[in-house]
Amino acid sequence: MSDAALAVRGLTVHFRVRRGLVGSRVVRAVDGVDLALGPGETLGVAGESGSGKSTIARSLVHLTRPNGGTITLGETDVTSLRGAALRRYRRRMQMVYQDPYDSLDPRMTVRDAIGEALAVRGLSRDRRPGEVARLLSRVNLPDALAARYPGQLSGGQRQRVSIARALAVEPDVIICDEAVAALDVSIRAQVLNLLKDIQRDTGVAYLFISHDLSTLRFVADRVAIMYVGRVVEHGPSLELFAEPLHPYTRALIAAVPSVTARGTKRLHLAGEPPDPANPPTGCPFHPRCPEAIDECRRVRPELTVVGPGRSVACHVAVRSFRSPRSAAEPSR
Amino acid sequence: MNHQSRRAETTPIPTDVDARRDPVVELDDLSVAFGSGSDEVEVVRGVSLRIERGQRVGLVGESGSGKSVTARAIMQLLPAPGRVSSGRVLIEGAVASPRGARRWRGTTVAMITQDPLSSLNPLVRIGAQMTEMLRHHRGLSRAQARAQALELLEAVGIPDPPRTFRQFPSVLSGGMRQRVALAIAISCRPRLLIADEPTTALDVTIQAQVLDLLEAMSAESESAVLLISHDLGVVANFCDTIVVMYAGRVVETGTTDQILDETAHPYTLALLASVPSMGGDLPERLASIPGSPPAPGVVTPGCPFAPRCPIAQDRCSREAPALVGPPGRSVACHAFGDASWPRPVSVGGAP
Repeated sequence: MSDAALAVRGLTVHFRVRRGLVGSRVVRAVDGVDLALGPGETLGVAGESGSGKSTIARSLVHLTRPNGGTITLGETDVTSLRGAALRRYRRRMQMVYQDPYDSLDPRMTVRDAIGEALAVRGLSRDRRPGEVARLLSRVNLPDALAARYPGQLSGGQRQRVSIARALAVEPDVIICDEAVAALDVSIRAQVLNLLKDIQRDTGVAYLFISHDLSTLRFVADRVAIMYVGRVVEHGPSLELFAEPLHPYTRALIAAVPSVTARGTKRLHLAGEPPDPANPPTGCPFHPRCPEAIDECRRVRPELTVVGPGRSVACHVAVRSFRSPRSAAEPSR
Repeated sequence: MNHQSRRAETTPIPTDVDARRDPVVELDDLSVAFGSGSDEVEVVRGVSLRIERGQRVGLVGESGSGKSVTARAIMQLLPAPGRVSSGRVLIEGAVASPRGARRWRGTTVAMITQDPLSSLNPLVRIGAQMTEMLRHHRGLSRAQARAQALELLEAVGIPDPPRTFRQFPSVLSGGMRQRVALAIAISCRPRLLIADEPTTALDVTIQAQVLDLLEAMSAESESAVLLISHDLGVVANFCDTIVVMYAGRVVETGTTDQILDETAHPYTLALLASVPSMGGDLPERLASIPGSPPAPGVVTPGCPFAPRCPIAQDRCSREAPALVGPPGRSVACHAFGDASWPRPVSVGGAP
C-alpha cells in the first residue's frame, strides 16, 4: 500500500433545488470543508442529518461533482479525473454503506461479488478463488458462505462481505458511511473490532462518517463535527469528547443517552438544524445556541486553530482562548 | 410528578400480586406464530408482562428478538399471516381480540412507530387527521376539535400550529412528523402509549426533545409507556422498568437500577458491555458477543443464548431455563446464582 494521504481543501457542493413553479434556490450542502487523512489513520465525521457529511463521501468517490475545492490522493489531484484515470483512482478509494443491500447485487453470490472486485484489481481468473477465501477469512466469515446470495446472509454477514469486497481492490482509503448504524449492538461491536484489526494489518485509512458519537470516540483518531455544510470543530477524538469547545459539540455530546449517566437531565437544545437553502445570518448555529452573543448574529465565525490539532468555529470559544486569563481553562 | 419520584415509587416490588395496582395491559404467556403446519415459525414465545398505570416499561432486544411483534400483538395488529398461537392479551382486564379492538385501540392503548409516515395518511392534511380522531373518539364538535388539535400541536412543540395544521405530512421533517404522531397518539389520553423505536430515525438532539416530550405527556396524563428500543441508553434514561428479550423470549426483567447495577443474565451483561462509552479509558477492543442471534423461529431444545454464552454449560444446550424470580424481577438462566456465575449479584428472592 502506498503512502497516499487524502487531502480535501475548500470542498464546496451546491445543489440547485426548485421552489414552486419558477424560482430555484441554492442549497450549500457542503460549504468550504478542509479535511486531511494520513495513511493508517481514522478521521471521524459527525453531524446531524443535513450537515453534509454524506455529500462529502459522495464527492470523494465522484458520485457528486463538487462546485469548488480540490481532492488530493497522495500526489494526485483527483478532483476532475475522467475515464481510465478515474477508474484507477476509484480502486484506491472504496466505500462501505449503511445498508449493504444498496451495494451488493442481490443476484450475485458472495464469491462473484468479491471476484468482480478482484478482476478490477487485475487478478487472473485462476488466482481468484484463493483470494476470495483469504478475504472471507480476513473478515471472519467461513468459506462456505461464498456460494450464498446476499439475501441468505444476516445483516452483520452482509456488512462483512461488503468490507471484504472493498478490501479486494487494496484501497488506500475506505469511506465508511454510517457503516455500522444499521447493525445490532452486539454485531456492531464485532464489526468495529474487525475494522480496527484490518487497519492495523493493512494500514488502510478510514473516513468514518457517523451520527453516533460513542462509535466515533472508539474508532476515530481525530473527529470533525459538521453543522449545516461546515466543520465547526475539529480535534483529536479523546480530547474533543473530553473537552468540547463548540456549544454545538457540547449539546451533541450531552444529548447522547447513556446508561452510565442515567437520571441526569437531558440537555435541551431547542429547535432544529436550519434549512440549508436558507441558513441564518452569522453563525448558522446562533438561533439554537445558548451562548450566542451579538457578533454571532452578524459575522460567520471561521474555523480557527486554538491548540495542537484543535480548531473551532465559534466567536465565544475563540475569544476565551485569546483572553489570557481564561486560556488556562478553555471550556470555561 | 417527576422521573425520580416515579422510579422510587415503583422500586419496592410487592410480592403479593393482589396488592399491586390494576394493570392497564397484561400479557399472559403470549406466543405469536407466523405460517402454519410444518412452516410454522414461532417468533414470540411465552411472554408474560404486566404494565400498570403510569409505569414506564422498556422493552429491549436486538432485531428478531420479537419486541415489535409483541407490540403489534398487544395492538391486535399482527401482520398476516401472524397470529397469537397461545396465551392472551388483557386490556384493562378484558381479553383482547382483533374484532373488539375498535373499542380500545387509539383510546385506551395508542401506538407510535419508528416511521410516523406509516401511521399518517400522506394525502390528508395534518389538521384533518387530528380532528377526525378527536371528533370520532371524544365526540367533539368541529370547532372544538380544531381548537384542541391546535392546542396539542402547540403542546408538542410545533412552532407554528396553524400552519402545520394546514400542511401535509410529507413536507414536515422527521422530528416534526414524530411530534405530530405523538400529538395524535396522546389526543385521546391513552392509558398506555406504545412507542416502538420512536427516536431511532431522529437526530440525537431531536431525540432528546421527543423523549422529554414523551416524559412530560406520560406524567401529565398518567399514561403508562411501553418504550421499545434496541438502544439501552435511551431505555435506561426513560424507563423505570426494563424487560430484555432474546430470540422471542423474555430473558430478564427488573427495575432499571436492577438491570444496570445487578445485571443477572449473561446476555444483558454482554449487551451492556458492547456499547462504546462516552467517557473513561478507551478499550483497544470492544467487548463483543460472538456469533449472531438465531434466525427467527429457530427453536433449539436449550437456552437460545447458549451458543453465544461465555458461561454456557452442557445443561444449557439441553434444557431451556425457565424465567424465575419474584414478580417484576426475573431471569432465565441456569447459571444464575450458582458458582459459575461471573460476578456477585444480589436479587432478593431468586433461587
